[in-house]
Amino acid sequence: MIAALVVALLAATGASLALGAVKVPIAEVLDIILGKGGTGPNHQIVEALRLPRTVEALAVGAALGVAGAILQGALANPLASPDVIGVTGGAGFGAILILIAFPASVALVPVAALFFGLLAAALVFGFAWSGRNRGSTGKIVLAGIAMLSLFTAGTTGLLASFPERAPSALFFIAGGLTNAGWEGLKTTWPYFAAGGLLAAFLIRPLDRLALGDDVAASLGSRPQLIRLGAGVSAALLAAAAAAVAGLLGFLGLVVPHVVRMAGGTSNQAFVVPTSALGGAALLAAADTLARTVRAPIELPVGPFMVVLGVPVFLWLLRKAV
Amino acid sequence: MSRARLSTLAVGLAVVALTVALLAPVGAGAEKRRQRIVALTPFAANTLAKLGVTPIAVGQTLGGRERLSPKVSHVPILKLSHPMGPNLEQLTALRPSLVLSSKTWAKGNVAMEQLGIRVETRDPRSISGALADTYKIGEAVGRKHAARELLKRMRTRIAAAGSGVRRHPKVMLILGVGHAPFTFLPNSWGGSLIRAAGGELVTGGASSRSGFERISDEVVVAENPDIIIAVPHADPEDIPALVRYLKDDPAWSSTKAAKKGRVYVSIDNSLLQAGTDIARTITKLRENYLHN
Repeated sequence: MIAALVVALLAATGASLALGAVKVPIAEVLDIILGKGGTGPNHQIVEALRLPRTVEALAVGAALGVAGAILQGALANPLASPDVIGVTGGAGFGAILILIAFPASVALVPVAALFFGLLAAALVFGFAWSGRNRGSTGKIVLAGIAMLSLFTAGTTGLLASFPERAPSALFFIAGGLTNAGWEGLKTTWPYFAAGGLLAAFLIRPLDRLALGDDVAASLGSRPQLIRLGAGVSAALLAAAAAAVAGLLGFLGLVVPHVVRMAGGTSNQAFVVPTSALGGAALLAAADTLARTVRAPIELPVGPFMVVLGVPVFLWLLRKAV
Repeated sequence: MSRARLSTLAVGLAVVALTVALLAPVGAGAEKRRQRIVALTPFAANTLAKLGVTPIAVGQTLGGRERLSPKVSHVPILKLSHPMGPNLEQLTALRPSLVLSSKTWAKGNVAMEQLGIRVETRDPRSISGALADTYKIGEAVGRKHAARELLKRMRTRIAAAGSGVRRHPKVMLILGVGHAPFTFLPNSWGGSLIRAAGGELVTGGASSRSGFERISDEVVVAENPDIIIAVPHADPEDIPALVRYLKDDPAWSSTKAAKKGRVYVSIDNSLLQAGTDIARTITKLRENYLHN
């Protein structure tokens, strides 16, 4: 299973670098990637456009896969995804606010998406950890849904108030990678790194939590703290992903299920890394399709990811049930 | 009946027939002129103003900056929003007999027709379409002659504005802000103007019914435009920041346009939405951006 995912990832990465709206011979692509030469437009296309975009696709796909995997594990809820802790709604609102109301500050779109994504998650955790049953799964999910609704209403209000400005926001909402060079990753890499590290530390505790809160507590774990850690990790990863590639909620929801069903195990030591590999491969492949299928027109990647992911998911679901 | 009486009757009938024949078309024209017209697009409102017709209301999008003729500046405004366009209760209260609308408000147009209002969509996306719609508006409001005269003047001015082109620079015209802007295609209003001004539109061969598409930055690098003009939604004070942002865009920084400082931001709607001052817009395009 892991070998198959590695092969898929390598194939998707190769395709992402080799294919685009402008035909660049594969030998020349390799030379450029390996720093052996090449000048002119082709060099710029591969080095400044395709390479950063491929790295972004891999980072965002892996981040969303991991975020979904640890949230589903922490909340013991198969429907958990970054949407559930409000991150997607908050990031969407932040980006649309800048794109529509402050177009001169368009360079701040990733920062605003990151800020509002994390703010939404902080509000969810703040409410979920207050009052009775603090830190319970039900409270986290309900607070997340409320926050998602709140920020989605704000986004819809902005779009309805300025309909003629909506085209600028469309791509972000549909989810898509752009050719922003290394700019997006320069801002967000610390969040990807922190979220990823935290997720790696949570792999064992999440396996204990899968046994139930009581058993986990008897083994010396602190279920609420694990859930909070998982929430923070997922929020960092999902907010950074949204800052780079817009709203791609589907990936975080489906990829962990696919690897669980295909691998026949819910062990987090398996699910978290394979979700990262699967998410990265799926997004890189879908992005390559999105920018080549109607080239030179670029389409949002979200629908392609669904087209690629849903048949596999349904096939596995049928087998599992 | 005496012969004298018969001839008097014949003359009388002839006079009546002649009067009816003479007055009938005038009556239809007068009826058209008495119409209560609402113009939902700036093109329709300004065309009416040029034909000497005052609409009972004009449309204005929320946050929009429609360029309306001073002749209609006193006319009540109907705010437009998706998906219907005007508020149908407000529109109905105005008792319009004709609404000059846009395809943008397709859903609202159907609802208006269900309310018994005559609706004509007059929001052209090309210069030839604008000329055709000018005549159709004249016809709809009983000002055919004025429309013909207006068309003559427009054609002469457009021809003069587009004459003497010395260079045909490659122009990329983009809509919106951010790293995923839409490119104007030849079947858009802006695309039509660029070609009339002597520019060669950079589209990578893309086509779309809407007239706009997001094209690959790889194509932009390969086609290397001489000029990039952005049409964002912004205020005048935003222009320097937007120009900087566009010039520094990693995908475009190597283009001739960015290197030679020929990245421009146009914040009025003249390249986005059909207007009646077509010749003036072409002249401004050539003088301010194309330099050809």
